[in-house]
Amino acid sequence: MKLYEYEGKSLFRRVGIPVPNGVVTSEPIKWEGKAVVKSQLLEGARGKRGLVRVTEDVYNTILELKKMGIEKFLVEEFVPHEKEFYISVLLDRETAEPMLVLSREGGIDVEQAKDVKRMIIPLERGVRSYDIIEAEKYLGVKGLAPIIQGLYKLFVDYDAELVEINPLAYTNDGRLLALDSKVILEDNALYRHEDLLKELGRQEVRDSYVELEGDIGIIGNGAGLTMATMDLVKLNGGNPADFLDVGGGASRDHVRESVLKVGRNPRVKKIVVNIYGGITRCDEVALGIVDALKEIKKPIFVRLLGTNEELGKKILRENGVNVYDDVLKMIGDAVRS
Amino acid sequence: MNKNTRVIVQGITGREGSFHTQQMLKYGTKIVAGVTPGKGGTEVNGVPVYDTMKDAVKEHEADASIIFVPARYAVDAIYEAVDSGIKLIVTITEHIPVLDMARAIKYARARGSRIIGPNCPGLIVPEESLVGILPARAFKKGNVGIVSRSGTLTYEVSELLKNSGMGQSTVIGVGGDPIIGTSLLEIVRMFDQDPETDKIIVIGEIGGTMEERVAEAYKKGEIKKKVIAYIAGMTAPREKRMGHAGAVVYMGMGTFESKIKAFKEAGIPVANTPYDIPKLLLS
Repeated sequence: MKLYEYEGKSLFRRVGIPVPNGVVTSEPIKWEGKAVVKSQLLEGARGKRGLVRVTEDVYNTILELKKMGIEKFLVEEFVPHEKEFYISVLLDRETAEPMLVLSREGGIDVEQAKDVKRMIIPLERGVRSYDIIEAEKYLGVKGLAPIIQGLYKLFVDYDAELVEINPLAYTNDGRLLALDSKVILEDNALYRHEDLLKELGRQEVRDSYVELEGDIGIIGNGAGLTMATMDLVKLNGGNPADFLDVGGGASRDHVRESVLKVGRNPRVKKIVVNIYGGITRCDEVALGIVDALKEIKKPIFVRLLGTNEELGKKILRENGVNVYDDVLKMIGDAVRS
Repeated sequence: MNKNTRVIVQGITGREGSFHTQQMLKYGTKIVAGVTPGKGGTEVNGVPVYDTMKDAVKEHEADASIIFVPARYAVDAIYEAVDSGIKLIVTITEHIPVLDMARAIKYARARGSRIIGPNCPGLIVPEESLVGILPARAFKKGNVGIVSRSGTLTYEVSELLKNSGMGQSTVIGVGGDPIIGTSLLEIVRMFDQDPETDKIIVIGEIGGTMEERVAEAYKKGEIKKKVIAYIAGMTAPREKRMGHAGAVVYMGMGTFESKIKAFKEAGIPVANTPYDIPKLLLS
């Protein structure tokens, strides 16, 4: 679960990571002097989209942003600074240990950064004094201890997947401040943090739906098969509109909901369904598809294989749905139609 | 693993546990006992149930266990299996918190136990033994070893092979989580040593660098047998999780492109689609 910037910063304060003074508001407010008005959205690239503004007129800036449909804002003091860094903690999958990532280039897309340092800090020992020295030497600043210890503590105590400060500002008067926060908590461990969720007013949501840019809806069972289906659509010249894995043992209702979810996306022109039924029963899938088609009228291309395959195919054919054995033929037909 | 492997089912009385116990027995797997706390003394499909692993191993010799315990209690089940001296622990359960898993895997390794999974379909030696949830219909005895991060895709590829007249020596799903007990490379090395296996299929996906490790080892000449690879997730966007907990790219690590590049540089043929795999195997 991704946290809003202001939520991440409230966790930063809790573990002793310095952040600029600021307030969260959903209405225009009066503010003395220069400030940064930051739209609180979960999507990235707010800066590029003009949703983060430095202003002397906070009141009217919020009014303007509200007209664009933004509902929540973080208003912060403007902090003059000469240097920006990147710092984060995430899991290193190879060693199965937390990894501290540092870069002297802050505010950038860290994937593009040429200058990146990675330090493994094993769970068994946690952050030690010599880690801090090494990190400070690399960035060429002092005072990283509360920041590194804070990030590490958040990572471990709150079961985070990623805790990131980008940029970390080194101010003209020699302080380090987290200008932004990116905190992603692990969905599987949210049950251990019910107090936090309550405090933030957020609810645990599990969703395997990922929206993409294209116009062909994709539904599959199993993450791998669904991804492979998306890729096949692309290889055949189409553009996937989503990733939706119905999971193992999907019921008629779940399949119906899934088809409706994909079909209701206005960009979606047609839908591709690829099912290998192990625990999943093809007749349940077929009934779910037929139910959904009563509510949305979009072309659908289905490939069914596995448990109760014949029954599933019969149901689809009787309802005029294109059903295939050959995945490549199905996708070819879907892309060309 | 073979037809003589003796297996204990942890979480045998649950919906998944009891259903798949029945399937495994039908396949011929030697299931010697089951464990569910509070259900000791009962039976599931004729298999005696115990409250703890300790009780179960006191009465039955066992080589492996398979875990169907719900996520919140699954880590305890892993520690319990390790402490009972089980050497192969197949963890089917998904949604186990990743730091819990990281610690449990270290604990198991230090005590000489191997974990497969979590969030995996298990393993099958066709026509001998099934320790997992793989659907029997997809498999046929043969000489191709398959190792995969994805369940359904494994079934799909196995069935394609079967339809092309080929079979499998052993098929293993290592699991879709970011931290897993046994890596793709470890399994590939075992296949390379296995006299029943002639060719190896690696089914990977975006996220992590397990596939790149296979490519490196192959490039160094540490793997002698023919390897064919496929990677799912060409069209997956960055920082979005594609169903599997482990199928996500953070900080540009483990992209589709980096994996394909690694395989190609190592000289491992990469299938564009799962449906090209049989053709590549025969060529």
